[in-house]
Amino acid sequence: MLYRTAGQFKTSYVADHALFPVRQDAWLLAFILLLAFVVFPMTASEFAFRALLIPVLIYALAALGLNILTGYAGQLSLGTAAFMGVGAYACYKMTTIFPGMNLLLAIGLSGFFSAAVGVAFGLPSLRIKGFYLAIATLAAQFFLVWLFEKWAWLYNYNASGAIQVTNIQMLGITVAGPQASAMVQYYFVLGVVCLVTVFAINITRGRIGRMWKAVRDMDIAAELVGINLMKAKLSAFAVSSYIVGIAGALFVFLWRGAAEPVLFDIPLSFRVLFIAIIGGLGSILGNYLGAILIVALPVIISTLPAALGLPIPSAMVEHLNTMIIGALIIAFLIIEPHGLARFWAIIREKLIIWPFPH
Amino acid sequence: MKTLSRLGLLSAAVAMGALAGLPALAQDSVNVTNLSYRTGPFAATGTPVMNGQRDYIMMLNERDGGVNGVKIVYDECETGYNTEKGAECYEKTKGSSIVTQPWSTGITLQVLPKSNVDKIPILAPGYGFSPMAEGKTFTWAFNPPTTYWDGASMILQNIADGNLDSLKGKKIVLLHLDAPFGKEPIPLMQAYAEKHGFTLLPIPVGLKEMQNQSAQWLQIRRERPDFVVMWGWGAMNAGALTEAAKTKFPMDKFVGIWWSGSDADLKTVGEAGKGYRSISWSFPVSDSKTMQDIKTHVIDKGKSLSAPGEFDYVFYQRGVVISMFAVEAIKSAQAHFNTKVVTPEQLRWGFENLKLDDAYLAEIGFTGMVPPFSTSCANHAGHSGGWMLQWDGAKFVKSSDLLKADETMIQPLAIAEAKKYAEANAPWPTNDECKM
Repeated sequence: MLYRTAGQFKTSYVADHALFPVRQDAWLLAFILLLAFVVFPMTASEFAFRALLIPVLIYALAALGLNILTGYAGQLSLGTAAFMGVGAYACYKMTTIFPGMNLLLAIGLSGFFSAAVGVAFGLPSLRIKGFYLAIATLAAQFFLVWLFEKWAWLYNYNASGAIQVTNIQMLGITVAGPQASAMVQYYFVLGVVCLVTVFAINITRGRIGRMWKAVRDMDIAAELVGINLMKAKLSAFAVSSYIVGIAGALFVFLWRGAAEPVLFDIPLSFRVLFIAIIGGLGSILGNYLGAILIVALPVIISTLPAALGLPIPSAMVEHLNTMIIGALIIAFLIIEPHGLARFWAIIREKLIIWPFPH
Repeated sequence: MKTLSRLGLLSAAVAMGALAGLPALAQDSVNVTNLSYRTGPFAATGTPVMNGQRDYIMMLNERDGGVNGVKIVYDECETGYNTEKGAECYEKTKGSSIVTQPWSTGITLQVLPKSNVDKIPILAPGYGFSPMAEGKTFTWAFNPPTTYWDGASMILQNIADGNLDSLKGKKIVLLHLDAPFGKEPIPLMQAYAEKHGFTLLPIPVGLKEMQNQSAQWLQIRRERPDFVVMWGWGAMNAGALTEAAKTKFPMDKFVGIWWSGSDADLKTVGEAGKGYRSISWSFPVSDSKTMQDIKTHVIDKGKSLSAPGEFDYVFYQRGVVISMFAVEAIKSAQAHFNTKVVTPEQLRWGFENLKLDDAYLAEIGFTGMVPPFSTSCANHAGHSGGWMLQWDGAKFVKSSDLLKADETMIQPLAIAEAKKYAEANAPWPTNDECKM
């Protein structure tokens, strides 16, 4: 009833190819955007901004980047965190070498560095695939983190070996560093994430996206129909690493404020990979759903006992948290192995024919 | 469908709850939250300290009903030594707690620039960024009673028998955790190496290699150093000690920082660890008044989380001392501002005016547990000095008199580093009211 599509006629090809051919989808999106742009900023506390909203957006962006590579082009990567690190360190070097640089520009440019590194480590994908490629990207993971530790120039010879974000202003407003307000940072991240998402939706729907999907489904067949495998695979690595690099720069500059090399180690790669897999490979929406499950839910669960007044020690809460999230991940994967995005798609299909399923 | 909508409702309620923030403070209590880690790879060394901290506050609440009638609420926020969780905990607790205890150098570096904006004092006893002692620059950070650089200086003095020039031509390995904490002493030790002509060889131990340090100890065996100085924590200590015992490295040439002197770690090597030294700014005195009160009011009543035997540990009693710093700061702020419930700003004053001399330590029942020291607006550490403790096969005993760090060497470096930090983080507010 709510999702009835009867009466929504498409009278032109443009209408048929619209991003949201079903009107209710567009309404739902408008509602979510209203929540994100107006309702959340008005109601959220600083804790909600810094522990829930901003990290969910940044992790979703990183997962989106990985999803383009793994979900759309079928190239398994375990080096996401390292590529995030490249973006973060590139942004750090640019903002310290050119102190007056516009942060948005610096973040946009830092993506190109990680894209270049991503393409370089993507070269083996031309000859190997599957698990073997995963091992090659794992090499990137280990090598780059080692580089972040040993190449002191990257962190400006800081004694602690960590990079720290200074106060950076844009148009007279502090957007990064300790003095930046959480709301400004949230809007900044939200703007970048929305922009990249629109770009990702369009690129995956278009010619390039179809090329990637063809390579994913069967690369020999794709080659036979005339797709240049090298171009397809390397462009997937480039676009994916670009987005991941931006996510890494946002991760450090708009959220963490400081980073040590070990931050970009393999647990972060796995975390992003989990978000992409649980959210749904080959979907855009899934990254957001996955990030909410993996990033936001533990934070919410850990605040529950205090909010409900239950006297549970915090170490116990942490143990329970791990157990609950683990159980939920398994449960979701059993209910729907294709991820939360597919789960939502099924719900939506059912809603469209509800209440008359036949 | 019904379950789904119910799920949706529940999750919406949960989200609203989280957005609305945490419950408000009660009036007659102050909250000292600890960013603890009882989980993760550092739990083994973290837990006894956290237990000590918790039990001292509990004892005060039981025995005296808090501090001057104000109940102290000791809460924990679990970080697992993870900086991401630590920053999250900081955001969660900064509204309710009057002090933040970050409990990791990485988390300290993360919250340090925010403390100026949020106006909440950081208590990082014996850890964190060493130049934090420069109170004129780091208005809100406190690392009493002594800093890592002091620790490095005291260790070098002790192994050189007081004459640093006797180290000339010798080789010292710094076996350190490859994290901000482990890298902390390197600048000072390098300055010492240049001045006194010894060779410093830092050997990092990555977080993933903590339990298996065979590569590092192979290198140590090849290098044949005169001394090994260890900056380790958590699982790294036990790993290094077992490896040293296995390779028969002479234990009397193996010295650790205060976080590498955990009884539990040495118990695993037992007799083989005999002779191992660790510098410390606290010493367990189990028959002191405070410890006996904790025994009667907390442990014997079964309210402690500590394991049997932990009571006599260096780390447990160090936790007690750490909570004492916070409580004494609350007391001095209460007296100065003539108030009961102190605010974070008032507590900051309290931390700047700790006066813990021998007579006062005896009065509050801490005789011999911590060296006397006092802080000021320019000196946020107090530079109390410390004792060299030595493992006798079953427990730690004092093996030196009170050692003092060489401040003439440390202070110029600390001032320069503090200045560098302030410049890198401009605009950085300094405490210009401080005329010392």
